[in-house]
Amino acid sequence: MTMFGTNQLLVDKHVEFIQNLDKKQDGLEYWMTEHLRVSGIYWGLVALFLLDRPQALDHEQIIAYVRGCQNADGGFGGHTHHDSHLLYTMSSVQILSMLNALDQIDGKKVTKYVLSLQQTNKQTNGQTTVCGDVWGEHDTRFAFIAMAVLSFFNTQDQLDTNGIVEYIRGAMNYDGGFGSKPGGESHAAQVYTCVAALAVAGRLDVVDRDRLSGWLAERQLLCGGMNGRPQKLEDVCYAWWVGSALDILRRRHWISAEKLVEFVVSAQDEKGGIADRPGDVADVYHTCFGIAGLSLVRYPGLNEVDPVYCMPRSVVRRLGLHKWQDNVPKSWSQ
Amino acid sequence: MHGRRRQQEREPTQDELQQAKQRVDRYRALNSHVMDLKATSVFTNDALDATKRLLEQNTELHTVWNYRRTIFTSLDEWQCQDTRQQMLDGELNFLLGIITKNIKSYWMWNHRMWALSSLPRPEWQRELGLVAKLLALDARNYHGWDYRRFVVAQLKDAATDKHEVDTQEFAFTTEQINHDCANHSAWHNRSKLLPEILAQRDEDGQLEVLQTENDLILNAIYTDPDDQNAWLYYDWLLDIQKSDEDRCRLLRNKIAAIRELLELEEDSKRPLVELVSAYAELERLQSGSVSEPEKKECLETLRRLESIDPYRVGRYTDMSRTLSKQWALGA
Repeated sequence: MTMFGTNQLLVDKHVEFIQNLDKKQDGLEYWMTEHLRVSGIYWGLVALFLLDRPQALDHEQIIAYVRGCQNADGGFGGHTHHDSHLLYTMSSVQILSMLNALDQIDGKKVTKYVLSLQQTNKQTNGQTTVCGDVWGEHDTRFAFIAMAVLSFFNTQDQLDTNGIVEYIRGAMNYDGGFGSKPGGESHAAQVYTCVAALAVAGRLDVVDRDRLSGWLAERQLLCGGMNGRPQKLEDVCYAWWVGSALDILRRRHWISAEKLVEFVVSAQDEKGGIADRPGDVADVYHTCFGIAGLSLVRYPGLNEVDPVYCMPRSVVRRLGLHKWQDNVPKSWSQ
Repeated sequence: MHGRRRQQEREPTQDELQQAKQRVDRYRALNSHVMDLKATSVFTNDALDATKRLLEQNTELHTVWNYRRTIFTSLDEWQCQDTRQQMLDGELNFLLGIITKNIKSYWMWNHRMWALSSLPRPEWQRELGLVAKLLALDARNYHGWDYRRFVVAQLKDAATDKHEVDTQEFAFTTEQINHDCANHSAWHNRSKLLPEILAQRDEDGQLEVLQTENDLILNAIYTDPDDQNAWLYYDWLLDIQKSDEDRCRLLRNKIAAIRELLELEEDSKRPLVELVSAYAELERLQSGSVSEPEKKECLETLRRLESIDPYRVGRYTDMSRTLSKQWALGA
């Protein structure tokens, strides 16, 4: 069944796949995903950078487009004329930093936008929430994004970091995992955002390292793929969500890298792109996180990805953002 | 983006291409129309209708949900309590009609919460019933559970007897667990309610509650020894015990249960892992309580686990190293 007995990553095919994304304008799906175009570009760009083909897309064109997605409030929408949201602000800032164009936007405006979403006057139990946009949804993803985005502009000390850390602590559950908000069930993607947020905040002491590492390690199923929580199906994107969290916890070796590689590689479409699982339709999201997951386990030929920022380590280093590593508890040596 | 099988591709017919183009053109036209209305700040019933037609086709357009909410609040009818009630009741029905299109849409759930929060006379009990039905279809849908917690918080806010709300929610989780003790989402919700339940009781009452809890989780463990969640919940029950004495007693119970399970199946992975962690915890709480043979058994068990569960060999070697050091045993 598999053509990937040698565990071959079809690099050229994936590059082509990403380059062709913007050409699929005959399909309804292209237009129905317009609202998250900026994130789609981010996913494609990360994949290309990790595949060491950063020039495969037109940088100037992307920069111009992303800048066009910034609104008067300083935030970014998922597409031009779409309302600002932290999700798309994050993708935009990540894109511009990878393309070395962060200086083309006003960091103060972005900082002001992010700070406006922090709810410091509604603290319960000392917890400070961050909303995704002006409509009030709060989620640990947004707590992470607030800290990460401001770290790009070195303005993170303007946040109520202690309050945000308490919110994240409140989202921790009996299994050591984290949910979308205090009370929310543990889910691997939320585990990544919370652990990454705590890494940026220098507060990994909050984590129950052993319990969480154990929970994360159990995400790997017999097929080699990971699921997002117990009893759920394997999915390529968890190679990233689970792998990155384990990496930050310095427990990457608690899963089988070999089996994970087998799984991700078998989820490739021979025509290009990676799907959520073998035999399914490929998309840029799973292509990104599949490749990022492979990078985490040091698949040969890939550039190293930073487990907190999901960007090439070289970019993170250039921006001085790698210093989160200095705050990993010393007792956690890999 | 998830769970779509690849299909054998053949060249589409002219007819199919034409139909596909028409679908795209129609969608794009509607989308442009709505975005134009938004850009020119049109807040009319016609605009409302246009947003509805678009959102029926694509529930993920959060900008359009935002615009729809803005139209609602800008209409004259919004100012009067009765007409606002009518508008929002209608909105809740609209949402119910499309919820099955994408039961995992954050934007739809957010919009529902907004509608409920804006209603002059919200019917939180009815919402509770609704979300119970949804969870009956998909017991692990975390959007549903998050929404349920939101509704319960509102009910609690409005209630004269807040304890009663917690008690009823707790009973709901019992019902879910009795129906399927592998329902992790129910156990998770239960873990958030148990501290509230305990806080309502006196010391004797608390012991009673904890004993019942212990029995319930042991039942889950016996029903499916491979269910990792049941063991995690058990460990958490240890955390919330009142004393180390109680913890040690529960750990001994845990070990006894594991021994029974291993008699049925000696290479059962989870019970074996739990055996080692139970002894490790016991020794940590009460130095000297674990015998030398038991310690040796732990290390031997970890070695066996390296073959039984090879993907996680890194974990077992780490555990061996740590325990060997802690217990000053030869590796």
